[in-house]
Amino acid sequence: MGQYRAWLEAYGTAYLEAAAWTLSLAVLSFIAALIWGAVLFFLRLSGGTWVARSVDAYVQVLRNTPVLLPIYLIYFGFPLLGVLWPAAVCGGVALVLQNGAYICEIFRGGYKAIEWVQHDAAKSLGLLPWTHFRKVTLPQILVHSIPALGNQAVLLLKDTSLLSAITVIELTMQSKVLTERTGTAYAPFLVAAVFYLAMVWALEVLTQLALRSVRWR
Amino acid sequence: MAMTLSDLWVMTQAASLSLLLALASIALGTALALLLTPLAFAPWAIARMLYRLFIFVVRGTPVLLLALLIFYALAAFWGRISPYTAGVIVLTLYLAALFAEVFRGGVLAIPRPLWDCCKSLGLPRLSILRRVVGPLVARYTLPPYLNVCVMAVKASSVLSIISVWELTLASREIIERTLDVYRVLAVAAILYFLMCFAIDRLGRRLEIRLAARGFAGERL
Repeated sequence: MGQYRAWLEAYGTAYLEAAAWTLSLAVLSFIAALIWGAVLFFLRLSGGTWVARSVDAYVQVLRNTPVLLPIYLIYFGFPLLGVLWPAAVCGGVALVLQNGAYICEIFRGGYKAIEWVQHDAAKSLGLLPWTHFRKVTLPQILVHSIPALGNQAVLLLKDTSLLSAITVIELTMQSKVLTERTGTAYAPFLVAAVFYLAMVWALEVLTQLALRSVRWR
Repeated sequence: MAMTLSDLWVMTQAASLSLLLALASIALGTALALLLTPLAFAPWAIARMLYRLFIFVVRGTPVLLLALLIFYALAAFWGRISPYTAGVIVLTLYLAALFAEVFRGGVLAIPRPLWDCCKSLGLPRLSILRRVVGPLVARYTLPPYLNVCVMAVKASSVLSIISVWELTLASREIIERTLDVYRVLAVAAILYFLMCFAIDRLGRRLEIRLAARGFAGERL
C-alpha cells in the first residue's frame, strides 16, 4: 500500500493537471463544434444549391478521413502560412472542424425525423416561417439530437488523446511521459484509463439527465 | 521541397497496408464479436455483467490509450513485440466491442413473437438461429456493420503513434522530410477518403436493396 501512496503523492498532481487539460480541451472543443455544426447545418438548410453542395462535400471529406489528418494539417501547415498557434489550439481547432461535420449530420438527421405535415399545420395556423422554425422545428431537432450528441461528446473526449501526437500534455501524453520516466511498464496507462472511463461515465449520465428533462416527446 | 512521384508511390503502398490492417482486424473483430454477443443474452447474470464491463471499458477509453497500454504491457510480459501484432490486437478488441453492440442491436430488433412462432413450429434451436434469426440479424445489422468498418480504416491511423508504418505515419515522415504539408495531406486524405467512401457507398446501396425487399425494421 505504501508504494501506491508514494506513487500517488509523486504523480497525483501531474495526473490531475493532465486530466484538467483533457477535460477543458474536450469541453471547449465540443461547445465550439456545436456552434460550427449549427452554422454548417443552417448553411446546408437555407443556402443555395452550391452552398449546400459545398457543405456536403466538407462533411463527407471530414467524416471519411481520420482526425489525425486535420490535426497535422493545422499543426504542420499553419506555421508555413506564418500562423503560429500553440499546439493545444491547433489540436482544438482540428477537433472542432471534424466534430462540426459530424454534428451537422446529427442535426440534419434530427431535422429529417420531423414529420412533414407539421409544415402544413404551421402554415394553416399562420405561423411565419422563422417563428415556425424557432418555436416548433428547432426544439424538436435539439431533442432528437440529444443521444447522438452525447455519443459525439464521448468520441470527442476520446479523440483529445490524439493531441498527444502534437506534444499537448493531456492524459495520454502525461501517462506516456510517466511510463518512460518511471520505467513502469503500463500502470500509468491504467490510471489514465480510469480517468477517461470516469469522464465517459459522467457524460453518459449527463446525456440521460438531458433526455429525462424533456420527457414530453 | 515538393513531394515526388516516388513519395506518391510510397503513400499508395502505405494506404494498402492501412487497408490490410483494417481488413485483418475487421475479420478477427467480427469473429470475436460473434463469441461475445451471446454473452449479452446469456442466462447467467455474471456473463451479462462481464459483457457490459468489456464494452464499457473498450468503448470508454481512447484507441490510442488502448494501443499504448497493450503495446507496453505485451512488451513487458513477452519481451519486444512487433507494433503490427500489437496494432492488430488493439484494433481487434476495439472493433469486437463495436461489432458486438451492433449484433446485439440486431438480435434485439427481432420481435419476440417471431421466436415463439419458430418454437411453436417445433424448429430446433440451432435451426432457428441458422435459418430465421441469423439471416434477419444479418440484414438488420449490415448498414451499422459497414459503418464500423469505416471506423476501422480511420482508427488504423491511430496506430501510427505506436510506430506502425501505415498511411498516416508514411505521410508524417514525408512531411517531415519535404515540408510539403498541404500536398502530402491532400493525397493522404484522398486515399483515406477512397477507402472509407467506398465502404460507405457499398453500405448505402445494400441498405436500399434490402429495404426494397421488405426487410426494413418496421415492416416485419
